[in-house]
Amino acid sequence: MRRTARPLTGTALAVAAAALAAAPAYGAPAGDLEVSPSPVAPGGQVAVRTAACGDGGTATGDASAVGAGSLGLAPGPQEREATGRFRVPPSAQPGTYEITATCTGNGRRVTGDLVVTLTSGREQVHPRGSVKTGVGGALGPDPVQTAAGVATLAVAAAGGTWLLHRRARGDGI
Amino acid sequence: MRRFPRVGSGVRSPANAAMAAVTVFALCSGAWLLRNGAETHAPPQPSAAQARAGLDGRAGERAAVPALPPSPPDRIRIPAIRVDAPLTGLGLTRTGSLGVPPAARRNLAGWYEAGTTPGEQGTAIVAGHVDNADGPAVFYDLGALTKGSTIEVDRRDGSVAVFTVDSVEVYAAKDFPDEKVYGAARRPELRVITCGGGYSRGTGYQGNVVVFAHLTGSR
Repeated sequence: MRRTARPLTGTALAVAAAALAAAPAYGAPAGDLEVSPSPVAPGGQVAVRTAACGDGGTATGDASAVGAGSLGLAPGPQEREATGRFRVPPSAQPGTYEITATCTGNGRRVTGDLVVTLTSGREQVHPRGSVKTGVGGALGPDPVQTAAGVATLAVAAAGGTWLLHRRARGDGI
Repeated sequence: MRRFPRVGSGVRSPANAAMAAVTVFALCSGAWLLRNGAETHAPPQPSAAQARAGLDGRAGERAAVPALPPSPPDRIRIPAIRVDAPLTGLGLTRTGSLGVPPAARRNLAGWYEAGTTPGEQGTAIVAGHVDNADGPAVFYDLGALTKGSTIEVDRRDGSVAVFTVDSVEVYAAKDFPDEKVYGAARRPELRVITCGGGYSRGTGYQGNVVVFAHLTGSR
């Protein structure tokens, strides 16, 4: 049994690795150029991003390996990373291409791999399924309103007591 | 001597009346605050009237204005529900679903940056949170949006893409119409997505509110 266990484990690892490689890559380690989606079909849009250029840094990208020329990378108003995009030429051949970007400020050069595959029909990888955009935080009781309600009722109780007290003294009400 | 109480009551009556009024007002508003504060505040959901019009919905898909060249978006504005939020780039999760912006930022939405840019021909996708752990977030009121409302997207090339809402739908997560929501379009279209469709303590929101819009202008 021991002898068969190892090859089986190896096969399982290989299958897992293949599954991971097939999943759309997103979230590459800092210092690299993220290329998304990869793989992509000829004609598809590709987004690249890097954190290597620092806060507010811009970069010049080079996608000429796949025939898409150069591109600019700039940070969005709310982002620290520089992002850019290009379109893979419809005539691109399947294969792995190196995309590079050079930071304008610190001159750092980062690279990322773009995998082009021939898939029928679809140019873009579309998301699937629903989106997790809420946790229910708006649904609970509002502690501020509850506290205000308690305080206001305390005022009412104090007022009522005062009035009853005066009435008991016959002060006229 | 008998006149003193009358004089006294004459002086005190306005004070008593004022105190009585304050007491009654405090009692009523306190009760209202307590009741309202303990209620659950579910985000608004679209009515059936905002759904896509039967068969003629697709047939009427003509390009109202020419598509814009590709340019990443920076900001989204939906005046009808007082939304004015920056956009961050979104990718896909390991399961292939659309990623989401960081939940801690209440006023931040995101766009699918590997897809179509808003204004370009095709389907551009924007998503944002309905709420976070602290309360309502950027797209809390998305379900209250109605047909014909305007959505504006500021783009990095300096142009503003103006979209008009076609329909507001709510879909269950377990039967999500991927092709309808994310699929390619022949004209410039926009989807704005947030959570909705009922809430359960165990599994959270049961689905998504999806706004369908198409490009009707630019400036």
